[in-house]
Amino acid sequence: MSMLEVRDLHVSYGAIHAVQGVSFDLNEGETVALIGSNGAGKSTILRTISGLEHAKSGSIKFQGSELTKMKAHKIVELGIAHVPEGRRVFPGMTVRENLLMGANLVKDKEKIRLTLEHVFEIFPRLKEREKQPAGTLSGGEQQMLALGRALMTDGSLLMLDEPSMGLAPIVVEDIFRVIKKINEAGTSILLIEQNAFLALQTADRAYVLETGKISMHGDAKDLLKDPRVKEAYLGA
Amino acid sequence: MASILQYLVYGLQLGSVYALLALGYTMVYGIVRMLNVAHGDFLMIGAFGTYFISKLFTNMVVDGTYPVIAVVAIILIAMVLTGSIAVAVEAIAYRPLRNKPRMIALITAVGVSMFLENFPRALPFIGPNPRSFPTLFITEHFTVAGASVTNVQIIMIVFAIVTMTALYLVVNRTKIGSQMRAVSMDRDAALLMGVNVNQVISITFFVGGALAAVSGICYASAYPQVDVYMGSWLGNMSFVAAVLGGIGDIRGAMLGGFILGIAQILATAVNSTFGYAVGFIILIVILLVKPAGIMGKTTIEKV
Repeated sequence: MSMLEVRDLHVSYGAIHAVQGVSFDLNEGETVALIGSNGAGKSTILRTISGLEHAKSGSIKFQGSELTKMKAHKIVELGIAHVPEGRRVFPGMTVRENLLMGANLVKDKEKIRLTLEHVFEIFPRLKEREKQPAGTLSGGEQQMLALGRALMTDGSLLMLDEPSMGLAPIVVEDIFRVIKKINEAGTSILLIEQNAFLALQTADRAYVLETGKISMHGDAKDLLKDPRVKEAYLGA
Repeated sequence: MASILQYLVYGLQLGSVYALLALGYTMVYGIVRMLNVAHGDFLMIGAFGTYFISKLFTNMVVDGTYPVIAVVAIILIAMVLTGSIAVAVEAIAYRPLRNKPRMIALITAVGVSMFLENFPRALPFIGPNPRSFPTLFITEHFTVAGASVTNVQIIMIVFAIVTMTALYLVVNRTKIGSQMRAVSMDRDAALLMGVNVNQVISITFFVGGALAAVSGICYASAYPQVDVYMGSWLGNMSFVAAVLGGIGDIRGAMLGGFILGIAQILATAVNSTFGYAVGFIILIVILLVKPAGIMGKTTIEKV
């Protein structure tokens, strides 16, 4: 049984029909990528899964629970961590406060301490800047913080919205290395990327979105070689 | 010299009323980015609530005043009542408009304010006429360095400072406090951390309403008269206090409240018609010189 099951999802903003009948699955332990150009509806799908937007119709099932009618804060409780587009760290809080905010729903103090240590191990840079306000960090550091904060929620599915956006290539490499590590440690990942090459290299499977609809899907390796994908998204 | 000290005492007294009211203004603004113009009317509800609640306790009156336990009960009931009304106002009038342009919420707040002032005015048991506020505390006078001070003034000022310190610590040191700060910085991101945003906003309105009630009790104890419009101009003044201190900042609201209270008393001493105007002169000056307020800082944020 798949961990996340999206069926015939429709989402609109006023007159704009942003997501038009999208269906896809994600199995436990997988990394699945949604690729597609700007405005294809990728972010909207993630925001609807998290409960930040409401579906017009269709269903989203996570480990058997229906999410479309659920409040956002309840969805987090089920174990879905979402790193939103543009990082969205709390600028006036310190790095440490941001990370502890991630553990907002975790009751076990010892567990919070251990996860915090683990995050600092993955991102030693965050440890160095522990007391610094998040608003003063560089873009790359903010992305690390956003990832770390999502890890603190202790979810079993991590959704990443454009983790490479606006970052220097060397930082992007670092971030994607960490994403792979997180997946190897057992967390399932749903990844959105405009950088299709990067996404297909990281993911097990991928879906290609075009103006609100899925136009192709398959193993990431196969899509990487597919001439249509190459032409439209890989610039080759 | 003695008279300056005397003005200072009056100024601090009035300042604590402004500060308590400005706190609610500033907290609500901080968390929903909305000027709750009706906030001053919560003060009136608190004062009227106290007036009616104290009627229920009349059989406990001894020598024209209430025993301490009754006073504490009256104040607590008034705080809970006003806080609950504030929560209801948010849920009914503001929540449905939360994702609409800010101007819509502002206009709605003006409407709420008109309703809160005029609906009680139409109720037969409240009506348009001022009522005299019951004596909750027996006033005792002291003379300190030539200035006359009453126990009521001391209670008010100390209570205001203790409340504000407690609130500052709650916002900066506790879990609900960090949830409030998270919501104020980025509501969507707070939702993604599992923060129940509606609940946090309700709690903020409750605290704001309860503090407005205390502010109303303080004011009415000093100037023992209540009427349905009293919250309107006190609300305006506390708005000026919040902007002066830096809107959204708790320490700023407190500082702005005391500065404004002292300034108004001093101005009134010079010319009795000048008191209310000084608030707006301060507002104009602060907007020209330091629009972010005394404690407000331009936030540095890398994108």
